[in-house]
Parts: sequence; C-alpha cells; structure tokens
Amino acid sequence: MKKYVEDLDFRGEEYVNEWTPWSPQDIRRKKGALEAARLMLNSAQTAPFAGGVPSVEAHIVYGQEELETVARKMEEIAHQKEQWKEPFLYEAVMVRDSDVILFIGNTRCHETPLDAGCGLCGGGLDCSYFYEQKNQKYGLVDITDRSSKKEIDGPLCTARVSDLGYAVGSALWTAHTLMVDARPFASIGMAGMQLGYCRNSGMVVGVPVAVKSKNPYVDVNVDYHLINMDKVLDNTRKIYQTARIIRGFDYRKWIPKPQKSDEEDE
Amino acid sequence: MGHLMGIQYCQDHVLEVAKNIALAVHKAPQITGKTDVDVEIIWGEDLEPIIEVMGPVGQVMRYVKWDYETIKSCYEKGENPVVVAVGARTARSNLGWDCGACGFDTCKEFNKYAKENRGGGQLGGPSCNWKALDFSIACDWACAAAWQYRVDNRVMGSLGFALNALGFMPHMDAKIGLALGPPRDMVYYSREEMHQSMTYEMDKQDMLNCVPNLFTAFPGGGTPMYKNKDEWWAPPEFMGMAYSPEVMEVMQQVLFEQVPEIVVKHADKIEARYKDKDK
Repeated sequence: MKKYVEDLDFRGEEYVNEWTPWSPQDIRRKKGALEAARLMLNSAQTAPFAGGVPSVEAHIVYGQEELETVARKMEEIAHQKEQWKEPFLYEAVMVRDSDVILFIGNTRCHETPLDAGCGLCGGGLDCSYFYEQKNQKYGLVDITDRSSKKEIDGPLCTARVSDLGYAVGSALWTAHTLMVDARPFASIGMAGMQLGYCRNSGMVVGVPVAVKSKNPYVDVNVDYHLINMDKVLDNTRKIYQTARIIRGFDYRKWIPKPQKSDEEDE
Repeated sequence: MGHLMGIQYCQDHVLEVAKNIALAVHKAPQITGKTDVDVEIIWGEDLEPIIEVMGPVGQVMRYVKWDYETIKSCYEKGENPVVVAVGARTARSNLGWDCGACGFDTCKEFNKYAKENRGGGQLGGPSCNWKALDFSIACDWACAAAWQYRVDNRVMGSLGFALNALGFMPHMDAKIGLALGPPRDMVYYSREEMHQSMTYEMDKQDMLNCVPNLFTAFPGGGTPMYKNKDEWWAPPEFMGMAYSPEVMEVMQQVLFEQVPEIVVKHADKIEARYKDKDK
C-alpha cells in the first residue's frame, strides 16, 4: 500500500484568532468560513426546484481586495438612487466585515422560463406577460443585447425566481445549522451582477458569510457607513498618536504618579 | 409513565412537527424584511376539498395527478397526512427600489398593474420578484425543517393551486402547500401510489411526447422519422404540430367548469373561518 507523506506526518497546530484582521491566525478562521460557504452552496444546489430543472449558478468570493471591490461597487450604486443610498452604504460596511460572499444566481429566469402558465409573473393564465416584453422568436428569448436601462432586465419568470429563493433558503438553512452568520442581500447581488459574477443569471442574490464574535449583519446603528468598527479603529489611530505627543516625557527618568493624599502620608 | 406502541402516535405527531415547521417559516430570513408571510396547517376532513379540487386538475396535468393520488390514498388509508400551507403578500411592492425585475420601470407602475390583475394566475401573481424571493426562502425553510425532522414531504404547486381556488389564505397573493407525512420512507418520491397505475406503453408515450428529440432519427431530410418502436423504420412515423381542440376543451372544462363547481360547494365554509378569525 502506498503511504503518503502527509499521512505519516499527520501532526500540527493551528492558532486561530479573529484579531488582528488578515493575520495568519485570522485567515485560518476565514478558511472555516470558506468551507461553510462551500457546504452552503451544496445545499443550494439540492434545494427543491420546479420540475427538478438545474437553473442555479454560484460564485464564492473571498479575499481583502475582492470584498473591497464588491463594497465599492455597492457604494457606487448607492449614489445612483436616493432610495438605495442608506441600505447600500450600510451593507457595503457589512461586506468589508464579512469573510466570504456567496453569490447565487438563476440562469433561466430571463431566458428559459418554466413555461407552465402559472401566472406568477403577470397574473395571467399563460406566459404572455413575459414573452410579450422580451425580444424573442418562437419562444426563444434573444439575450444577446445585454444593455439595460434598469438594474434588472425584467420581466423575469417568477417561477424561476422562486427557484432562486429556494436555493438561497437552503444555503441559509445550512449556515444556521453550521452556526455561521449569513444573510441574503439584494444590494450585494446587484453589485455582483455588475461586476460579472454569475454572469449567466438574470437575477443574483448575495449571501455574505462571517464567523466572528459579532454578527456583522444585525444590530447596526444610524449612519453605519460613517460609524462602524473600521472607522472607530481608524479614528483611534488618528487621535491616540497625537495624545501621546502632547504628553511626552522620558520614562527612564521620571513617570508621573498619582499624588498621595495626606492620610496616606500619615 | 407510559408505553407508546404502533404507528398511530407517530402519525398524530406529524401535526406537532407541522407546528415546528410553521415556526421555521416565520423565522426564515428575508431579503426585503418587508414581506408578509403566513402559515396555516390543514389536516383531517379539512383536506377533503383540497383533494377534491386536485382530482379534475390531475386529468390534464400529470404531476398534479400523482400529487392527488398520493395525498388521497394516504388520507383514505387513515395515515393522516398534513398540509402546511405557506402564503405571502407578493403582489404589491412597498420597496420603492424601481429595479425593473417585474418588467415595469417603477414600483408605482407595477402596483397599479398588480391592483388590476391580482390573483389572475393559477398560482396567484403578479409578483414583485424580491418579495417572491422572500416567499420562496420561507417555503424552502418549511421543506428544510421537514427534512430536519425526518418526515417525508414534498412542496407542491398543485396544492398551491387548490388553496388558491378554494380561497384559503385570502389575504395572501402567492400560496404553496407542503405535503407532510405519513411517517414512512418514500411517500412523495418514487411513489407507491403510482404502482400499477400506468402501463409500459403509457410511460413510453409520455417520454416520446415530452422529450421528442431523444427519439429523433436522422434530421438531414428535414422531416425526421421518430423511433417509437424497435423496428422504427418499418413503417416510419413522423410527428406534427397542431392545435388540439380536444386537449383545450378538457382543460377549459376542468378550469372553468369542474373546479368552480367544487369550489362553490366549499368556499362559503372556508370563507367563514377567516371571517370568524377576523372578528
């Protein structure tokens, strides 16, 4: 039997700590989040789909630069629409505080509908609501013109969108089972679409994943894009240095002590 | 002190599991945080109208037929299947995102259209797609919770249609049903109820109808033969397309005559429950 070197050398130790960010001990922690995201994706792929049809694609994104790019795209979109400003800016902070992003998209909702006449898209007894608004011939939708004046090029087949919901739901269920923090976001999904993640999809949902002492996706404060941990830490770096400068002394020769009271002297 | 024996207590417990599933539905995460989701649990004699509606629909929809046969058979055998009905308000957007996913430029235009066309589809609609996502995440959590409890289950659009037709969950726009139990393996997958209910020829013809390209012979001539028998070339057979007045007539009869007749029998009783609840 062949013996592998790694089998003979099965020993080691791993130190894990979320502080300091992006240190080796923090990256080891993030690797756990990455494994969780991969299992979440497995769950998404086994979710119940209408007719058992495969229609889900996914991207797992991690790394400091990669997450920063997503956050910046969200901030760019935030300033394009007043109604999106606050949620997109707040959620960009959450992306920077995440370990991994799982993008899940549906590849059929804009091109190959269920064609079952369910009416979910437009409330009718056939699929005409969808097809009449699409560039199509004989029911084959031409998606080669990818320019769109809207963030999402609707209408979409809502039955397929529902399949996407089931996939996202299963991913979230597994996150809860594994006790990692995760939530579904429209903002992250739209930014991901614009960045080319899940590019075959008509609709994408972003599910950030984090394994930290504080869940990044809940308990946010007002003006979260201005008041958050990164800003607080950076401000500490800003003010503390100056506070040291104005109190300089040679600690080898003299250190100020609390003044003793009269009673202590006695 | 006690001693539970037999299967009856397990069958009865499916109802308790359904209540746990309802908790999971309400706990399901949402993208918008603004979608109203509701859950109801239906079992026993109250399943009868639902089964009754599914019957004629099964005549024109094969997948509905198997759902119908399975639930009916379990019910008639006294195995106490339970339906977890999940509904959501998806036909109105209070998001103001104007994202375009619904096909309109603004949520305001969508809301105007939806007000005039609400509930026209077999499963409801029209839908704000973000709210549809919230709804389906909740439905998925119902399924996942059921699996977690190791109770056989299947989420069914056929049940959604019946719930819609009979007026269950009147305030909800989208509805779906999760069939739950009885406590045994393979109730809703590889179904025993399908045994002896179809012939070899019927199964083969279904495949030919549904996946014709699998049976297509050399297409170079422009009018390919179809391989629907061992000696498919003698004599060759061809396919054609045509409007089928027979198929359409049966479908019209089911949707606009048979189903409404059943609905009329039960709708008042079901409606009254919601009126009593609103009081």
